[in-house]
Amino acid sequence: MLRVVKRQEPLKGGTPLIVVGALALSLGISMLLLAAQGKPAPRGLFLLWDGAFAHVHSLEDTVLKAIPLYLCSLGVAVAFRMQVWNIGAEGQFALGAIGATWAALHFPDLPAPLLLPLMFACAGVAGGVWALVPALLRLRLRVNEIISTLMLNYIGILLLDYLVYGPWKDPTSFGFPLTREFSPAAQIGRMIGRIHWGILLCAAVGLALAVFLKRTRTGFEIMAGGAGARAARYAHMPYGFLVGLVMVLCGVASGWAGSLEVSATLGRLQPSIMAGYGYTAIVVAWLARLRITHIAFYAFLLAGFRVGVENLQLELQVPHAFGGIMEGLILLSVLAGQFFQNYRFRRAEG
Amino acid sequence: MRMHAFARRRRKHTKRTDPAVPPVVRLISISKSFGAVKANQDISLDIRPGRIKALLGENGAGKSTLMSMLSGRFPPDSGTIEIDGAPARFRSPADGIAAGIGMVYQHFMLVERMTVAQNVLLGQTGSFWLSPRAMRATVGALAEEYGLAIDPGARVDSLSMGQRQLVEILKLLYRQSRVLIFDEPTAVLTPAETGNLFQALWNMSEQGKAIVFISHKLPEVIAVADEIAILRQGRIVDEFLEHEVPSEHALANRMVGREVILEVDAQPVPLGAEVLRLEGLSGNGLEDVSLSLRQGEILALAGVAGNGQKPLVETVAGLRSPQRGAVTILGSDWKAFYGAPQKESWRGGLAYIPEDRQGLATCPDLDMVDNFLLTTRHGFSRQGFLERNRAEEQTARLVEEHDVRPPVPATLARQLSGGNLQKLVIAREFYRHPRIIVAEQPTQGLDVSATEEVWRRLLQARAHAGVLLVTGDLNEALQLADRIAVMYRGRIMDVIGRNEPDAVGRIGLLMAGLRKGKREDGTAGEGARARQGEDGQGAESAPGGAAR
Repeated sequence: MLRVVKRQEPLKGGTPLIVVGALALSLGISMLLLAAQGKPAPRGLFLLWDGAFAHVHSLEDTVLKAIPLYLCSLGVAVAFRMQVWNIGAEGQFALGAIGATWAALHFPDLPAPLLLPLMFACAGVAGGVWALVPALLRLRLRVNEIISTLMLNYIGILLLDYLVYGPWKDPTSFGFPLTREFSPAAQIGRMIGRIHWGILLCAAVGLALAVFLKRTRTGFEIMAGGAGARAARYAHMPYGFLVGLVMVLCGVASGWAGSLEVSATLGRLQPSIMAGYGYTAIVVAWLARLRITHIAFYAFLLAGFRVGVENLQLELQVPHAFGGIMEGLILLSVLAGQFFQNYRFRRAEG
Repeated sequence: MRMHAFARRRRKHTKRTDPAVPPVVRLISISKSFGAVKANQDISLDIRPGRIKALLGENGAGKSTLMSMLSGRFPPDSGTIEIDGAPARFRSPADGIAAGIGMVYQHFMLVERMTVAQNVLLGQTGSFWLSPRAMRATVGALAEEYGLAIDPGARVDSLSMGQRQLVEILKLLYRQSRVLIFDEPTAVLTPAETGNLFQALWNMSEQGKAIVFISHKLPEVIAVADEIAILRQGRIVDEFLEHEVPSEHALANRMVGREVILEVDAQPVPLGAEVLRLEGLSGNGLEDVSLSLRQGEILALAGVAGNGQKPLVETVAGLRSPQRGAVTILGSDWKAFYGAPQKESWRGGLAYIPEDRQGLATCPDLDMVDNFLLTTRHGFSRQGFLERNRAEEQTARLVEEHDVRPPVPATLARQLSGGNLQKLVIAREFYRHPRIIVAEQPTQGLDVSATEEVWRRLLQARAHAGVLLVTGDLNEALQLADRIAVMYRGRIMDVIGRNEPDAVGRIGLLMAGLRKGKREDGTAGEGARARQGEDGQGAESAPGGAAR
């Protein structure tokens, strides 16, 4: 018989070990699932690796997917830090894309140095306001933010659909739900290979948030507010303001992710930009245990799995849902693995 | 009037019980220490079937410790518990329940969304299949047997506190408990519900159950008990049978005691300006509370817990806004004081040392530096950035100065013992150079030397601050305070100077809801009851407020 025993102190340097172990476990289970469908499991593993990380082309794909994922995850992590369960990054992402598109379609003749900042400003405002609504609902009417942010996701996506099927539809698109292509000034160019300049925005936002949370008084208040809401109230922290702030920060970051998608990746707004980054961001934030500095790694990893699974779909005709299953497996096994940080098994005597 | 009814019933019922029945539970020279604190010393007690035994004592006298040992929560250090004449060893509350000893705690443990019957039968083994009707019938029959008026099909969240208490009682009766222990059972009840509870207690004792009634409310103890044991500082100082109870006054004196374990030299210091003023504060369970605090004095707020101290302190500390009446803090109106930018007000303002050290005063998962920064963060920020290094150095200095152990600033608050955590909180709050200090049970759970240290600091603080000391420990109030305000049911009954004649006796009576002067002849009890009737509004809202 095995018994669970609490460790005297947390396993030192064990985190990488646990993460690798958990990843191996989740990959193993994924392969078993492949085998159960009669697919060659080892080849599946290879295709996953090959499609995500093995070539310059696949790495570029992975980075391109990691960029919006990273921005959304940053925002989600900040909100979760304060125990504000904002799962609305998806809707805020959609609103950001809408805001940026609005600017791009209405001022196509502005020069890029004016138009791009305008697009990001509109995306930030749209995403931020979308996130502020549930914050106000929570503060004023005690509406649970999990429900309200989730519901606002659907509304945001429907709004996006309405716009591209309706008023913003390109008259020359033969009925496809697309907007016109943005003017060149509204498109962010490439930096290295297919990777666009948006990656610099990611670096800037990541750095700014890390400094903000670690070094500023307001960052401290967010952290303390998450560690204990009652203690925060006791210390007369502006709790309501902080809840609003973290929500808006998440809305702006997610909105900018949406803005990058329309401006750099597609050059127009279309429903296919809603690829679920806002939901995967929740997984990334948890995997990173809400640490800003760890988010880049996990965003890259999960983006890689997304790309790799696309390769699996192509080569082995694996269903689309397989990607979601893998994501869930990774999250569950890493979270379960973190248990061993503080506990271990011991053989029970007798 | 109600007292009268109690008294008549009791007499009728005591006639039937024979005081010489062999005890079902016998405690023989039980002792228990927590660290240096002797919670129980050499306690012997007989608990007999068919009798109601009251344990009377102040907060911290050792009542709860004693009953926790009896119910099996932890074992005594020495001494024996005999059940039916045979020594018993309890390793867990389950053993206690198996031996027929059950406890009704102050905080009910009920599933609110289930019915009475479901709650009573929760966790009971039986057939896999459940029959709601049979469950209701079983519980209904049980309630009828003991004359408890409750609908077994009602959902618990629709019940009053008094009815919920009946559900707790039914749980014990269903488990065939022979000894039922009630820990401050009337704290959450309205006067009418208290009457119903007493009726239920008599019914059960007539059916042969042994009842232990823990309280510090004198009129209730006198009304309900067959035997009274008085606990003070961990010892049983007196035992009375119902008919030999002297005056209520004598009981109060025995309960409060005159001996003092700890003494400090609290020389008065010259008084300065008024720092805190409450005028006609009402609502949130308070009734027309007015008081004034000046720099240089310690004003103690004494009273049994749950009589309005909490809402008063929370209002003063800015955690809830006053409903009616005026609060003036350092010359500013409540709104202006708490609305002012904290950049300036974090220092030289109001410091609150709460009773709840882990969770309110500190975050368990943050280290000492972060916890130090909770209320001092505005002193360590420059242009919005936090000067963590300076805060860390300051924490290290304070931790050493206040002898917090371990003296490692990276220690998490949850890893500190209660006493050391309190030292950290006090170090932090004093670092803010407050001009008002609200200290709530500041020495609760602290050992003797730590208590003395806290007292010394509070006395020192008078040089620049006024101190509002909220304490359930009368000795503490008498040692430190210049004046003692006694709260009862949301009101300040009276403010008594420390050196006034017979302060102890009067405070004891005020705590029990009896006003000074109307005593000695037994009419005071009636007077107090009648007064409660007059302002029944306040009397009922106070415990309700505390329960929320």
